[in-house]
Amino acid sequence: MSRIVITGNGAICGAGTDPGSIVETLLAGRSALAPITSFDAEQFQGCLAAEVPDYNGGKLLGDRKLLKLVRRSDVFGIYAGTQAIEQAGLPAWREALDETAAAHYADQTGCYVGSGGGAFEVNYDFFPLMAETKNDLNGFGRELSNMVNPMWLLKSLPNNVLCHISIRHQLKGPNGCITNHTSSGILSVIESAWALREGDAERVVAVGHDAPIEPQTLLYLDRVGLIGTDLLRPFDQRHDGCLLGEGAASLVLETEASALARGATILGEYLGGGDASEGEGLFSIRSDGDGLSRAIELALDDAQLKPADVGMIVAHGNGTQESDASEAAALLRVFGADMPPVTGFKWSVGHLFAAAGLLDVAVGLEACRRKVVPGIATLEHLAEACKGLNVSKQTRASRSDVVLVLCRGFAGTNGALLLRAIQ
Amino acid sequence: MTTRRRVAITGIGLVTPAGLDAASTWARIKAARSCAGPITIFDASGFSTRIAAEVKGFDDLPPIDDRKLLKYASRAHRFALAAADQAVADAGVRPALQDATRWGCVVGAGMMTVAHQEIAAVQSTAAPEGEFVAKALLNEPIANDVMAFSRSLSTAGVSLLLRRFGIRGYASTVHTACASGGQAIGTAMRLIRRGLADRVLTGGFDSMISPVGLSGFCLLSAVSPDNDQPERASRPFDLTRNGFVLGEGAGFLVLEEWNSAVQRGATIYAELAGDGNSLSSYRITDSHPSGDGPIQSMRRAIADAGASISDIAYLNAHGTSTPMNDRSECAAVKAVFGDRVNDVGVSSTKSVTGHLIAAAGAVEAGLCALAIRDSLMPPNANLQQLDPDCDVNIVRDQPRQQRIGMAISNSLGFGGSNSCLAFRHPEDTAALVASGR
Repeated sequence: MSRIVITGNGAICGAGTDPGSIVETLLAGRSALAPITSFDAEQFQGCLAAEVPDYNGGKLLGDRKLLKLVRRSDVFGIYAGTQAIEQAGLPAWREALDETAAAHYADQTGCYVGSGGGAFEVNYDFFPLMAETKNDLNGFGRELSNMVNPMWLLKSLPNNVLCHISIRHQLKGPNGCITNHTSSGILSVIESAWALREGDAERVVAVGHDAPIEPQTLLYLDRVGLIGTDLLRPFDQRHDGCLLGEGAASLVLETEASALARGATILGEYLGGGDASEGEGLFSIRSDGDGLSRAIELALDDAQLKPADVGMIVAHGNGTQESDASEAAALLRVFGADMPPVTGFKWSVGHLFAAAGLLDVAVGLEACRRKVVPGIATLEHLAEACKGLNVSKQTRASRSDVVLVLCRGFAGTNGALLLRAIQ
Repeated sequence: MTTRRRVAITGIGLVTPAGLDAASTWARIKAARSCAGPITIFDASGFSTRIAAEVKGFDDLPPIDDRKLLKYASRAHRFALAAADQAVADAGVRPALQDATRWGCVVGAGMMTVAHQEIAAVQSTAAPEGEFVAKALLNEPIANDVMAFSRSLSTAGVSLLLRRFGIRGYASTVHTACASGGQAIGTAMRLIRRGLADRVLTGGFDSMISPVGLSGFCLLSAVSPDNDQPERASRPFDLTRNGFVLGEGAGFLVLEEWNSAVQRGATIYAELAGDGNSLSSYRITDSHPSGDGPIQSMRRAIADAGASISDIAYLNAHGTSTPMNDRSECAAVKAVFGDRVNDVGVSSTKSVTGHLIAAAGAVEAGLCALAIRDSLMPPNANLQQLDPDCDVNIVRDQPRQQRIGMAISNSLGFGGSNSCLAFRHPEDTAALVASGR
């Protein structure tokens, strides 16, 4: 099997507008969590979140007209995807090709997107119409076209990023839009890698994007017990829940042959991935970390690596007691006493749900390229239930160039990804 | 190199406007009787389109024997649970403790996840004058109801299925609009090929027959406004076609690694032999008039199945009955099959079922498997005046009795994702396997 390499790495979140600046934020021990500004959240539990500062959709898209057709989450996805695609040098390469070669290039370039969808905010667009017509559905139908944006459905599509990135960058290869909550981003990378392994494409753009900082989502997440108070403290004695973030991340994955032919700079190598579910229900987590440890073992098998080969681990670390404890259990089961440095980024960037796993991949890869494992700045005293977990408040060195990234979501889904950082 | 793992379809479950199981759906489709009618599940009298193909009689069925699970289920989820139950029963195999991690689950889920009454309840409290006041949510019952949240999650469907059947392997949910069902099943097939699973429960479910769902399509003028003649409204490839008819429902399959299905003596409907996937990257709602996009997905599916165009006897078209789709799709079919285009029987079963959106590709995959089993191409209903741009070999009015060595099924989505699945007659696969291929 030929190697799969990474030639583009893009990200945007509250802590920075590319993977490098996000790593700098983490190394500085700075959290992007701050009071929510996008709506009046003062009376909400968890009124802290990591918002992208000074959000300007038109500027991020570089296309004001497109803004009418997409949501905030899509803006982040298109931004991060474009960043990775440009870093990989794909637009310049395509423009230099003749027509036949450009058509072949398009057919051989795929795209897999992990999307958060967004169940509630799209419905708010119907509120003026509903207020006007009260409970009268006949009136609702009659007034519809006078009061609702005709493009409403298109704006609401969960697969918008896939659509617009493919149009902008002429991608016509294998594709998918994964809407599997938090595991969406990691699954988009796993599917991308398989498309390359199976020879269905030469290059694939993987994107994960989400913007869950929205009142109804926040309230529900609080009601299911996920939202914490003032700080996000993964694995700490005082961990009491998660706080939200928003943004996107993207990788360009290529066959080594394609990257070498283009003379592209290689940032890393995809080594393997694993996915496993627990099947216990929407909000249930097995305390023994069964699904997560199986996902890690599947990824190690896929990469033909041993636990001792792993240099650093980017944990899910969402700061809830159940998730942290079961994650520690899973890591102890796989790595035992020989555990590489473990960290997590949510204490600074918040939880980006569908984008979370891919953001951790993008930032983890960049950190590993710099050979650093950023510390968890909010960690004071390791929780009893997480004893044995090799975490630290301090910046440490990765023990090898291999980074393991973990991700867990509602419905008991677990993903694990192994990458090699290349300088 | 070892030979590739092949994939058998051993279970089919369908809940559609044409029937509440696979047998009744198939019978109605063979009879070419459209299921479109006036919308009854809400007052659609003010809408420009007031017709749809509804699933009828579902609520009269005995519910599944898990009341707790049903509390987490929306209308579309209930369709999914019922269709998945049928598929698993039909396959005669279910996950057990020792092999649960070798079962996967991949679903195509609809985009509209919040019930209209719930949107309306939130609006009446949090936006009584139309302007949304976030903090008013704090005292609104629905906005604090964990069950309502559960039903709204994009993973709600897959979660219910994982729990009901005790599946613990690879799990994913996809949404590429009308291509969702096809792409879900293609992904599921690949899990088995890759060795990541031995069996996969896969399918799609959707229900957009609701005020907000219908609104989206009315605003785009995508649905047929033929309110006076609903049974004639879905007429793919007809010169006078003017939009699709919205349907709802679910389709599920059990896929199995071929040899294990043979060894346990399972009834194999067909081999799921190929998956082709492409992007149109043209416009959000259209594919290119030349068929660019669907051309690649069809070619990839046929190549992926190790087949050539001369092997394909039947095409279940996307055939939505919109002016643009049918013309572009036929251009693609002609480009792919060239001078063999008349050797391929083509029909759109959406002429009977309407368009099930995220469930469409999954239901139509089930129909392709039934077509192969019965050596019978389902008819394209309602074709009176063939559009000259759609002059392919359409199976008109009556089913066509003919052995189907291979069938393909198209699903083309808003956003430009195109899916094509290829199916092979199990006898032909058995012969290939016997010859070491």
